[in-house]
Amino acid sequence: MDRLLILTGRIIVKLLKLCRRNAGNLPGIILWHLTKGKCCKMFKIDCPIIAVTGTNGKTSVTNCIAQLFEQSGKKIIINREGNNLDTGICSLLLRYCDSSGKVDADYLILETDESHVPVVYSQLKLETLVVLNFFRDQLDRNGEMETLIQKINSFCKTFDGNLILNGDDPNTARLGRANPENKNVRYFNAEPYKFATDTIFEASEGRFCPFCGNPLKYDYYQYSHIGKFTCTECGFGNYKPYITACNIDLEKPVFTADRHEYSPVLSSIYNVYNMTAVAGTAKLYGIEPKITDNVISHYTVNNGRMETFMLGDRKTTLNLAKNPVGANMTLRVMNEMHGEKELLFVLNDNVADGLDVSWIWDINFSIFERVTRVVTSGTRAYDIAVRIKCSGYPAEKITVCPELDTAVNELAKTSGRKFVIANYTAVQPTRTALKRYITENGGSHE
Amino acid sequence: MNKIKILHMYADMLDLYGDGGNMEIIGYRCKMRGIECIIDKYSVDSPMPDFSSYDLIYIGGGADLEQQHISENLQKCRDGIESAYKNGTFLFLICGGYQLLGKYYLDADGNKISGLGLFGYYTEAEPNRRKRCIGNIVLRTEFTGKTVDIVGFENHGGQTRNVKTPLGSVLCGHGNCTGGTHEGYFEKNVIATYMHGPCLAKNPEISDYIIKYCLERQNGSSVTLRPLDDRLENDCRRVMISRLLKK
Repeated sequence: MDRLLILTGRIIVKLLKLCRRNAGNLPGIILWHLTKGKCCKMFKIDCPIIAVTGTNGKTSVTNCIAQLFEQSGKKIIINREGNNLDTGICSLLLRYCDSSGKVDADYLILETDESHVPVVYSQLKLETLVVLNFFRDQLDRNGEMETLIQKINSFCKTFDGNLILNGDDPNTARLGRANPENKNVRYFNAEPYKFATDTIFEASEGRFCPFCGNPLKYDYYQYSHIGKFTCTECGFGNYKPYITACNIDLEKPVFTADRHEYSPVLSSIYNVYNMTAVAGTAKLYGIEPKITDNVISHYTVNNGRMETFMLGDRKTTLNLAKNPVGANMTLRVMNEMHGEKELLFVLNDNVADGLDVSWIWDINFSIFERVTRVVTSGTRAYDIAVRIKCSGYPAEKITVCPELDTAVNELAKTSGRKFVIANYTAVQPTRTALKRYITENGGSHE
Repeated sequence: MNKIKILHMYADMLDLYGDGGNMEIIGYRCKMRGIECIIDKYSVDSPMPDFSSYDLIYIGGGADLEQQHISENLQKCRDGIESAYKNGTFLFLICGGYQLLGKYYLDADGNKISGLGLFGYYTEAEPNRRKRCIGNIVLRTEFTGKTVDIVGFENHGGQTRNVKTPLGSVLCGHGNCTGGTHEGYFEKNVIATYMHGPCLAKNPEISDYIIKYCLERQNGSSVTLRPLDDRLENDCRRVMISRLLKK
């Protein structure tokens, strides 16, 4: 039966290839129906599987971990396009397996959607799970966050493989207690950086100890609810870190972990956390320090995550923000930069964005410094305009241009530094519009 | 100078879908008119406040876990909230706040959380967790004396029944029950609704109704609020309503 399913799946992949179509999720979706939801079960995988999950940073960390092994000369399979549901992982494996369903690789490195961790790894044996963070993200699609954590927590109750957890996120760190028998739980964390605060700065969750319900005590907050926390009642949060990022200086940017200084390309505190997760995984697998250093110091992304465009001579930075945490980070980067700047905010409410846009009210726009003008665009251009106005920003400095090319032209008509924030489905159209402006009016794109 | 005193209850726990934004909006609309707006916060670790000293009590919505956390504490506030309400303090309640002031809330696991019982409605969760009322919602309301269409975002499993005086009739979306005809609960000093978004973002009439009510109650006479430039809000609502009702 398994062989027949594999054969069917492989034929679909081949057919799609003949039609010059990227297979994507489709073969997985078909097998999902044929197997009544167990579309990963028929593969025979002998090599270790490393999965990365969490709300923010999955793609970056998965790619970096893959590079660690690739540069160590290992054969790896990775879902690079971010097909991170069970059906996407099934489609990926169909492309690499033989007729018996055997997959030939040294390591499988799989970005996995938070809600699909229990689904996929009840079917495939997982060796290591890296959990980055849990934030409110598209709640109406995923269900409430607590439900999501509960699901992963139930999975962890019987999981005895390696758990690499963000020890500064109570939502993540609690998974370390799910299976008291598991001796393979490791935490990464970070010492306070320059802009860490004593009180919480942005809307967040996880204020209470998940074990005894008492308020958590924080020594410092790095961003959102990420920081050094403890429960004074039951001691939740008192753990010995496996790896700690310290001496963090985002202006260079540098940080130290295990007495080794790293110079990442991206200068944000959450990139430091991501790279610390990567360094922790490298340590666990005994990757050569030279390779880890090379991966961390070269990793950058070119898909709307702090991407630079020159609109004529106007430097423009585009950043994806699919939730308040991402948007607040961009606002911080804007504020930490001297001089005046203008902002274009592109907000869509397509299905993949989660239909609801109320998360923009959890963005702290009151911190705006030296922002001389705001342009808004996207299917919810007016919503973001109202939100920024009600934070106290002068309405006369806000221009609403729902159509993207008009918005980019509006942004580009003045001189000076520009920032662009776009949410999930808005990123690619925004990149296209910026590139079109450059083609028509001059400028450059790295 | 005019002044409005607000008690924002459980702001640290009941804050879903931008509910905290409602306070920012009321504060903004007061500030633009030179009305002083004091917002005090109350949560489980705060001393018991004098509820009747407030013009407005506001409670937002939260996940089931957070609602369980606060329900016991809320019971301790029962007498204070009830006498404030009877005394004319305005109650503005979203989602969880709406449910918990009714008779009870029966969650999907069959746990019954007692409400304050200030109002006759009760809420029972849809037993199938996947069947939630989710999406944009448009209501036709008359609470200002004129017909006003308002728009927001709903996401609730709870089915609220026995609502005698709803806030509005549903033009698009679910409302109090799956596929329902009406949404929310209204009295002259109570607006309770499932509308997030936040609720006030695109509906300046609700904010102004509340502000006007509070000032008139203080002054004992009719008050005319200075109109504000609501072009962005009105455009925002117009775009959404025309998109939603076209379907």
